[in-house]
Amino acid sequence: MLRRYSGTWTIVLVLAFGVLFLAVVYPLFYIFKASFISPETGGFSLESYRTFFRYPYYLRCLRNSLFVSGMATFFALVIGIPFAFFLARLRIPGKNILKTLGTLPLILPTFIGAEAWLMLLGRNGLLFRLLQHIGLEIPTIYGWRGIVLVFSLQFFPFVFLMVSAAINSIDSSLEEAAVNLGASRLRVFRTVTLPVVTPAVLGGALVVFYLSIENFGVPILIGEDFRVLSVQAYNEFISEMGGNPSMAGALSMILLAITLGLTVLQKYWVERKSYAMTSLNPLEVKRLRPLPTFLIWLFCAGVVAVALFPFVVVVISSVTKTQGPVMYWGQFSLDNFAKAFIVAPRPIINSFFLATAATVLGMVFGIVVSYLIVRRRGAAGYLLDLLIMLPLAIAGTVLGIALAVAYNKGVIVLTGTWMILVLAYFIRKVPFSIKTTASLLHQIDTSIEEASINLGVPPLRSFLKIVVPLMLPGILAGAIIMWVTTLAELSSTIVLYYGPWATMTVEIFQRIGSGDFGPASAYATILIFAVLIPLFVLNKVLGKDLGSAL
Amino acid sequence: MRVEFKGITKKFGPLKAIDDVSLTVEEGDFFTLLGPSGCGKTTLLRTVAGFYTPDAGEILFGTRRINDVPAHRRETGMVFQNYALFPHMNVFENVAYGLKVRRLPAATVSARVHEILARVQLDGLERRAPSQLSGGQQQRVALARALVISPQVLLMDEPLSNLDAKLRVGMREEIKRIQREFKTTTIYVTHDQEEAMAISDRIAIMNRGRLERIGTPLEIYLRPNSRFVAEFMGSSNILEGRVAAYDPGASLLRAEVHGETLVLQAPEPAQREIGIAIRPEWIRLFEHPPAGAVNLFPGEILSASFLGSIMRYRLSGLGQVMLVEVLDPQQAGVWREGARVFFAIDPARPVILTS
Repeated sequence: MLRRYSGTWTIVLVLAFGVLFLAVVYPLFYIFKASFISPETGGFSLESYRTFFRYPYYLRCLRNSLFVSGMATFFALVIGIPFAFFLARLRIPGKNILKTLGTLPLILPTFIGAEAWLMLLGRNGLLFRLLQHIGLEIPTIYGWRGIVLVFSLQFFPFVFLMVSAAINSIDSSLEEAAVNLGASRLRVFRTVTLPVVTPAVLGGALVVFYLSIENFGVPILIGEDFRVLSVQAYNEFISEMGGNPSMAGALSMILLAITLGLTVLQKYWVERKSYAMTSLNPLEVKRLRPLPTFLIWLFCAGVVAVALFPFVVVVISSVTKTQGPVMYWGQFSLDNFAKAFIVAPRPIINSFFLATAATVLGMVFGIVVSYLIVRRRGAAGYLLDLLIMLPLAIAGTVLGIALAVAYNKGVIVLTGTWMILVLAYFIRKVPFSIKTTASLLHQIDTSIEEASINLGVPPLRSFLKIVVPLMLPGILAGAIIMWVTTLAELSSTIVLYYGPWATMTVEIFQRIGSGDFGPASAYATILIFAVLIPLFVLNKVLGKDLGSAL
Repeated sequence: MRVEFKGITKKFGPLKAIDDVSLTVEEGDFFTLLGPSGCGKTTLLRTVAGFYTPDAGEILFGTRRINDVPAHRRETGMVFQNYALFPHMNVFENVAYGLKVRRLPAATVSARVHEILARVQLDGLERRAPSQLSGGQQQRVALARALVISPQVLLMDEPLSNLDAKLRVGMREEIKRIQREFKTTTIYVTHDQEEAMAISDRIAIMNRGRLERIGTPLEIYLRPNSRFVAEFMGSSNILEGRVAAYDPGASLLRAEVHGETLVLQAPEPAQREIGIAIRPEWIRLFEHPPAGAVNLFPGEILSASFLGSIMRYRLSGLGQVMLVEVLDPQQAGVWREGARVFFAIDPARPVILTS
């Protein structure tokens, strides 16, 4: 369509590919190459990979990563599936609040959750000492137990959201048809409801596994000696700084292979298995007798409470008097905020500036590229779509290392500037902008644009006058998601930041490391509210919820 | 404005969506492109609007070749199948959109919008959002928006397909009335043969990208030129026959059909193998063979459906299933399933299909 005007769009297409090449393809290729170069001789060598597979030290990282991710996935399913079924099919008091609160953990930064659990169950933790006091010995939070705990509580909402969506897409006639054909209640569930929901369960499981294996903040904060791949890649990167990053490269490539594999599995296996349905008549919501209703309510409310409790603890600790790692619980003080705002405000400014810069870039890019992907289908559009979604399959640590290494020297030097942070945030979060914008654009029929052209408005102006205003809710939703997730970004930041450009996330991370919990909580509290307020606006003004945006 | 297509071909990949179509739409005509889905009718309409560029051939508005005129300069008003109303604008803004583009003074825009809204009986609904309108009202807004710019050609792409049956009949009368008032040359696309017959001055029937037949609704219905046209426009019984003899003096043709002899009027001799199209209402049924009847054959009623003004029978005769429609069944007699009857075919009515 409209071939004559493709000139402008062709330029845009080339520009988009250029950006993606520089920000994703080239750095990945660079790190891939570096992993095959011997640090001693400078020639081609498989030494790093040989080292990885020969030494138990490295292999254990791989095993640890797979283990915690597997455990976290298992528990996220155990919590998320019943949570979804109960809320979708039963009459439970406070259902809507439970639904909203149940999705919150997925947007709250995981490393802040880790901080809270450290304050509760760490060696100096409040609960830990309380339990010790009454003579209860429980294992500490450090190591795999804490990591699995935090992951399970923060990632179960993905299972919940995906399974809920699947349940809500079932038309009641589907189950009625099975009953009509003579199936019992249990049989209907086993032969109709469950199979229809299974792809969503698999999809949720893959997402949780992916998020767990790529996570950096939680294992580095509470893993201690329990090392996982993402942490080890970071350690190698730090120790190889200046030299050839072959070991960091090799670890990155191994992690990349896993995350890419998971994404391919998700796209070509799970998505193919899911069923496209439009539900006209929603499923019947059953009312149970009071006691079962209460027990189920207790489960749902309990899950939400345990998942959100850490963040309440962080907020409370931010206004608690502290001295290093020692918290004077119950004594109110604004010292921590005074420190954050007056003594060291730079991280706050940095965070907001970088997130805003990346978001503005992402909005513009998102509008244009969505248009290319949705309206100009074809080989180029497909490739663009694939490339732009690629960063979703790359761990933040890996992308950070790749960018840092690729732009350390040569024609373009970005490492050590704030621009590389913006670039990393932009490329990592722009898929959210594209997803929300493109999904809206899919719903805008081409004929609306054609009607405008037909009435005498040239194509580009028709796009600006008609399509962009209609895409606005999607653009805004995408921008908000980009902004809040960028603010909470730790994994790539920790690799790419330098001195004056430390963000709030870096500040929190370092202060937790040095046991300086009070100011860490102040920054974390600012971060929590900076994330929650825009999401609240998104929900109230645009009527969109988090699930639809992610 | 007279619109002329000269040898238009449009390919999508290897597929020829339009294959060498030439036709002329006269000034002020209500012209319909009719055919099954995928026949190329919408593609042809979109080449007029400028959304597709033909791979070969020319389109002329009057004497002006418009192939290279961009879509937004063609001055065609298009009514889309899904109406394509701008959802973020109210009725007034939707209709005023094309006028504002033409930089008319605000007072003129307002006057012309109100005038056209009155013509389509939507006055008073100016401030409504499209989503607050019924399907029929949305349809009128779309029509008003296309007409208000005084287009050289009005293009309509299955505009009634989203309405329910009763509204559809009402709206098509309405569209016809408005078109008569404005006298705008109109090209209308539909797959509904009844709609096409009711609304059009002339119809072009398309099949697989090619033009099958052009003519007035009556011409096409009474003298279909091909098996496709005969079956697509209304329903037809198609008999396969073999020409046995031709009498040029009486213009009579004798054809063998399933071992029986059929006498047909034909102005000229035909090839040996012919198709014979017979409309269901051209066949008459009898309880007993009447005296002196020609082309009288025995048959057995397979099924009978009462449709109000007519009775529709399926009967076996001449070695196949024949469709017969009897108007005013009370007068003409009613037969049940399994009844043995005689049916007669008037030699003057059947159409000999050349292809």
